[in-house]
Amino acid sequence: MKIDVIEDENAAAVGNALIKVMSLFFIGIMIIAFTANPVSVGTNEGQRAPDIEGKYYNGSGWTEFDFSSYFNTSWQEGDVSGQWVVIEFMDTDCPYCQQTADEYGQFANTFSVNNPDWNGPHVNFLASATELDIQGHETDRAEIEKFRSDYNHNFPYIDDIDQDNMKEWGIPGTPNYFLIQPDGIIAWSSSEHQDEKVNDAIVRLVPRESA
Amino acid sequence: MTSNLLVGAYLLPVLIGFLIVTPWGESFASSLTDRFPSLKSARGRLLSGLQLISLAGFAVSTQTLWISSKISEGGSFCSSTSTFSCDDLLGNSKLNVDPVLGLSWGLIGMATFALLLFIVLVLKQEHNHPLSERFVSMGLLTTGIGLLVIGLLVSYEIQEEKICLYCTTAHIANIAAFVGFFRLKKLQEDNSEWNK
Repeated sequence: MKIDVIEDENAAAVGNALIKVMSLFFIGIMIIAFTANPVSVGTNEGQRAPDIEGKYYNGSGWTEFDFSSYFNTSWQEGDVSGQWVVIEFMDTDCPYCQQTADEYGQFANTFSVNNPDWNGPHVNFLASATELDIQGHETDRAEIEKFRSDYNHNFPYIDDIDQDNMKEWGIPGTPNYFLIQPDGIIAWSSSEHQDEKVNDAIVRLVPRESA
Repeated sequence: MTSNLLVGAYLLPVLIGFLIVTPWGESFASSLTDRFPSLKSARGRLLSGLQLISLAGFAVSTQTLWISSKISEGGSFCSSTSTFSCDDLLGNSKLNVDPVLGLSWGLIGMATFALLLFIVLVLKQEHNHPLSERFVSMGLLTTGIGLLVIGLLVSYEIQEEKICLYCTTAHIANIAAFVGFFRLKKLQEDNSEWNK
């Protein structure tokens, strides 16, 4: 009988402590759940775009790229003043990237504040140039500069020859496009909409004055 | 600046708890024994100190998880151009999660201090629980692993040249808890002292 009482006390000690600690943990999580709305970092639509690191070429030289400078985290949905971002993950030796390069350059000119026919916010175009692990795809910065010049692109090209950004973004192949909201949240990705082009996505998703 | 002052609210109980679990805790706690009789014995002092440390550690870990969540929304909490800018560390999506499972360090801290608190509460209620030795060893092991984690997180701070005061408070709580569990382990080996 006495042994049973001791066992009950031991079980009660664990049970009481467990209830108290679980309650405390639950309260902590509930406070966070009710007062914060965390956004995870990733490359799916609705996630915050991961960082892009490395040097970029803007026509005059290679300088450190600051991806965060493109975003305003206080931007609100529907606000037509925020600048959007389109980033293309590409390889200068990828045939399909070459085929679409002219078109991508045209999109950059179309969705610009310098185009009087475009009544939406400025869309910044970027290209992250990598070197795919395929024979004959060897590249260097001179090749990236030449590619940019050949297609008359006037937007920044980021050096991702080491594939760091490509791996961070989980890019399966090139070209791969992302449309990013002014607050840094991915609004559209080509891998999730293979039947829709990036220009159509911009027209569909970017708010405009008359829209 | 205000956010850095708020750290004091977490740091104070950690430091008081730390003082109680040190060998000088007896003289510090002697004036409080009338109000808190459990502080009369060495075991009572260690467990009370550990309870204070675990609670404050849990609270500050919850706060760091909350800050990480708010920053991910696009907000800021303790952003500063000075060295003391926790936003740069807690808002860094590469550094604010563990490299193996990708769990937030804040959540890991909450779970760790909740476990320590559970051990302390069980021992406070039933110090001769059949698993008491195992519980103390578990507390010592957990806080010992915590020391390695602190080393990794401090290396992040050195790399980023920033100091996160909330994280540092959680680190101090872990170190204090390690000292407490180490002394508790020693005390447990002395049966007469443990049962006083």
